[in-house]
Amino acid sequence: MDAFLASPIGILALTVAQTLALLVPLLIAVAYLTYAERKVMAAMQMRKGPNVVGPFGLLQPFADALKMLLKETIIPSGANRALFILGPMLTLILALIAWAVIPVNDGWAIADINVGVLYLLAISSLGVYGIVIAGWASNSKYAFLGALRSAAQMVSYEVSMGLVIVTVLLCVGSLNLSEIVRAQKTVWFAIPLFPMFVIFFISTLAETNRPPFDLAEGESELVAGFMVEYSSMTYALFFLGEYANMILMSAMTSILFLGGWLPPMDIAPFNWVPGPIWFILKIMLCLFTFIWVRATFPRYRYDQLMRLGWKIFLPFSLVYLVLTAFVLKLTGWLPV
Amino acid sequence: MNWTLVLPELVLALAGLAALVAGVLPKRDTSFAINMGVFGAMLLAAVLVMAQPEGTAFAGQYVSDAFTRFMKLLVLAGAALGLLVAMDWNVKEGLAKFEFPLLLLFSSLGMMVMVSANDLIALYLGLELLSLSLYVIAAFNRDSERSAEAGLKYFILGSLASGLLLYGASLIYGFAGSTNFDRIADAVSATEGVPFGLVVGLVFVLAALAFKVSAVPFHMWTPDVYEGAPTPVTAFFASAPKVAAIALLTRVAAGPFGELVEQWQQVLILASLGSMILGALAAIGQKNIKRLMAYSSIGHIGYALMGLAVGSDLGIRGLLLYMAIYLFTNVGAFAVLVAMRRNGRALEGIDDLAGLGRTDPAMALAMTVFMLSMAGIPPLAGFFGKLYVFLAAVYGGYWTLAVVGVLTSAVSAYYYLRVIKVMYFDAGEALDARPTSLSVVLAGTGLFTVFFFAFPAPFLAAAQAAVAALVG
Amino acid sequence: MIAALAFYVFAAILIASAVMVVTSRNPVHSVLFLILAFFNAAALFLIAGAEFLAMILVIVYVGAVAVLFLFIVMMLDIDFSRMREGLQRYAPIGAVIGGILFLELLFVFGSWQFAPDAATLRLNATPGPEVTNTEALGQLIYTDYIYLFQVAGLILLVAMIGAIVLTLRDKPANSKRQDIGVQVARAEAVKLANPPSRAGLGQLGIIRRPLPEAPKPKAVGHDHHDHHGGGHH
Repeated sequence: MDAFLASPIGILALTVAQTLALLVPLLIAVAYLTYAERKVMAAMQMRKGPNVVGPFGLLQPFADALKMLLKETIIPSGANRALFILGPMLTLILALIAWAVIPVNDGWAIADINVGVLYLLAISSLGVYGIVIAGWASNSKYAFLGALRSAAQMVSYEVSMGLVIVTVLLCVGSLNLSEIVRAQKTVWFAIPLFPMFVIFFISTLAETNRPPFDLAEGESELVAGFMVEYSSMTYALFFLGEYANMILMSAMTSILFLGGWLPPMDIAPFNWVPGPIWFILKIMLCLFTFIWVRATFPRYRYDQLMRLGWKIFLPFSLVYLVLTAFVLKLTGWLPV
Repeated sequence: MNWTLVLPELVLALAGLAALVAGVLPKRDTSFAINMGVFGAMLLAAVLVMAQPEGTAFAGQYVSDAFTRFMKLLVLAGAALGLLVAMDWNVKEGLAKFEFPLLLLFSSLGMMVMVSANDLIALYLGLELLSLSLYVIAAFNRDSERSAEAGLKYFILGSLASGLLLYGASLIYGFAGSTNFDRIADAVSATEGVPFGLVVGLVFVLAALAFKVSAVPFHMWTPDVYEGAPTPVTAFFASAPKVAAIALLTRVAAGPFGELVEQWQQVLILASLGSMILGALAAIGQKNIKRLMAYSSIGHIGYALMGLAVGSDLGIRGLLLYMAIYLFTNVGAFAVLVAMRRNGRALEGIDDLAGLGRTDPAMALAMTVFMLSMAGIPPLAGFFGKLYVFLAAVYGGYWTLAVVGVLTSAVSAYYYLRVIKVMYFDAGEALDARPTSLSVVLAGTGLFTVFFFAFPAPFLAAAQAAVAALVG
Repeated sequence: MIAALAFYVFAAILIASAVMVVTSRNPVHSVLFLILAFFNAAALFLIAGAEFLAMILVIVYVGAVAVLFLFIVMMLDIDFSRMREGLQRYAPIGAVIGGILFLELLFVFGSWQFAPDAATLRLNATPGPEVTNTEALGQLIYTDYIYLFQVAGLILLVAMIGAIVLTLRDKPANSKRQDIGVQVARAEAVKLANPPSRAGLGQLGIIRRPLPEAPKPKAVGHDHHDHHGGGHH
């Protein structure tokens, strides 16, 4: 068995198995995230939400998926066919391949690479291409405007996100995600770096084009923005991509600030619970906040969005970064 | 690491950052105060340069010796004079933004990095810092189509030159395994024969630097950019950056590639001959005085390169003196150009100088002095500049260079004298009154040009020390 | 063996996409091929063991620079026929220059010669297996190369100043700007109230501007008044 696993085919088989073990639950989670969102929002608005298909409406996501699959894919005649299809595919693929480096538990990552954080940042910075390509290939003004908005927005928020990540890296001394989690053994970074935690979370909202920063879709002004020409499966891919991205960003937040798979305290009742459960719980907490924010806040105006990103988050995170560096240097806590 | 050695650069950089904050934060217009502040920072940096100890810093990337001190003082003087010349013009043209002095400051910082470069990467970065600032100030009058065109043209051709430089530098690194000049010199002397790849790399680097000093055949951008850019910007272009680029050219040729003198000599002789001839002939038909000065500057670079091309200590000394004299004479001549303004409108035609001999005798006299000095008439400063490089060429046996130099000087005297003729013998209306800052610059550079013959000793001694430091 | 195979695959795609950048008819396709080329370059970095550079290449060039490229190219209105015209006119000169450069390159690399101690002078990418190359780069950049690093920073600063100087236009002085702090702090802008269920605005003491006089419905025998004037669907 060991010999087989060491052979090239064995390595391939193992990787495929690991990938499936991660992706299948992930896709199911994506399906139920849509359900959860509708239920939670309904509860907040004193409605019932989906409750017809299956017990408590639990089969609703599958009914939706089936509907999407069975509808006709329409490609507008003026569209650039290849790119029109490429856009949604890219969105979902990018949301999924990022999971390759996420450690679900100590040592449970498909690829535990040295530069895990940079990999995540790189993949999340590519997400904008799906949207821009879709918006341009649709050959429609609404779609193009949505794409332009989203490109500017994602590039802007990546900058402060990068600075937040650098702050965390200063406290860890490694770019490896498992190392980042292990460094939070004593205290989660959400506590000493609380302002950065908040900035990071808000930036993830902007990165995923979620409300209140969903100007790329902005149905009241741009109909549905970059997805206005999409239908059936191509539309479903965007949908899946957005929710998979939400889960990814929540996982990133948990790893960087909420101690990943670590229990809140290393004492009796908490450390009986296995690590992956803690990790999932933290992701769920973040996802709930995503939905909560959506149900609570009105959409930002575009200039307000840019102002927040460039004039508030960027300078603030820069100052906090320098401050963190100073404190670490002066107290001698700087990891070597 | 040796931070104290780079004190002049450090002070200049910090002053630049402080000036940036002072320009951006207050709501009111602070451009005059920032002009003054930047001027002060340049003077302070010059004082620090004079007090700078010798040595290398940062793992040999930075070098300070008599040569760098000489060149840095020239560069800072050129930049400070350029700033003085520009101040009044900018106010009159509605360009008085605080970014102008800042860009001048950062470009002089780039020039200081270039002069002190002892490493290919430092060379490249200094050159880029300089060039990037120059591209922007060439297009500084952004509402003028000509200015924007000048900036864009300079940018595109300049990027091409940077590309050539990087290409050459990578070939040199590939050969030597190091970017440090001392290591490259070791590698060159340890190798038998002359590797072809190294020569190609060296030629690429020389070509890029020749572009910066606008030597033939890399001069095409010069007339257009000089004509399109605002006049004080042209004055700056023609002075300090050329000194810095010549300094870099000298260091690269004499330092790491000192042993390959036969290889680069041919290139430089051709560039020198071409520049002298083109500068003399192409300027004759010009009606626009900025274009005339552009061709004149190409010609002067030809004379200066003659000093380097002969490949002797004497030649390099002549080159250094030539650049010093050229810098002051040129800034003076451009100060007259900047003052050419009638009813508030800036003028650029040679004919617009008509009648200056009667309407503003002082300025006409100054312009006469500068023109005669550039033509090389004794006893003005320009004569001595030419004398030293011609002497070096004759001593080295480079008769072709010397003869062509003398002939082209005679030809170029024609168009310099034409300017004087227009000023004194043609009739024309009076120009607007010249501002005080220009009068100061005119007086200072004019006195230098006239009385250089009386006290050349300190300059000669400084140049001699610089050459000794460079050649070792 | 696998590494060598991967190298050739990525290098081939890199060159092919670089060719496509130049030859694509559609400029947007050109930019997308450029992005593909960046990716393959990053993959080559990975094969060379420089994972930090690979990721930074993707983050900076693909994630930010190329997005802005794409942004601009998508908005440009390019006349292809005119571009072709120029291409045909200058193609022979370009081909001659390219040919000369290529021949030169052949000469250079055909007779390449290293300095005797070049190999020892050249720095290793990583000092040893126990130091990641992120750390190794950091240790070099912030010690030996700090001078160059800072100068590079100044170059970027100048680029930024230049971009602002050349493009930023101040709004006219009389234009109204938003001052969020002042607007939010207006006392009368927001009023907190805790209304009981089914209470109307009148009962809460909130004065409302009187509604415009509703046009009297013609007495045609149906007395449905609609004061809201629509709004519900």
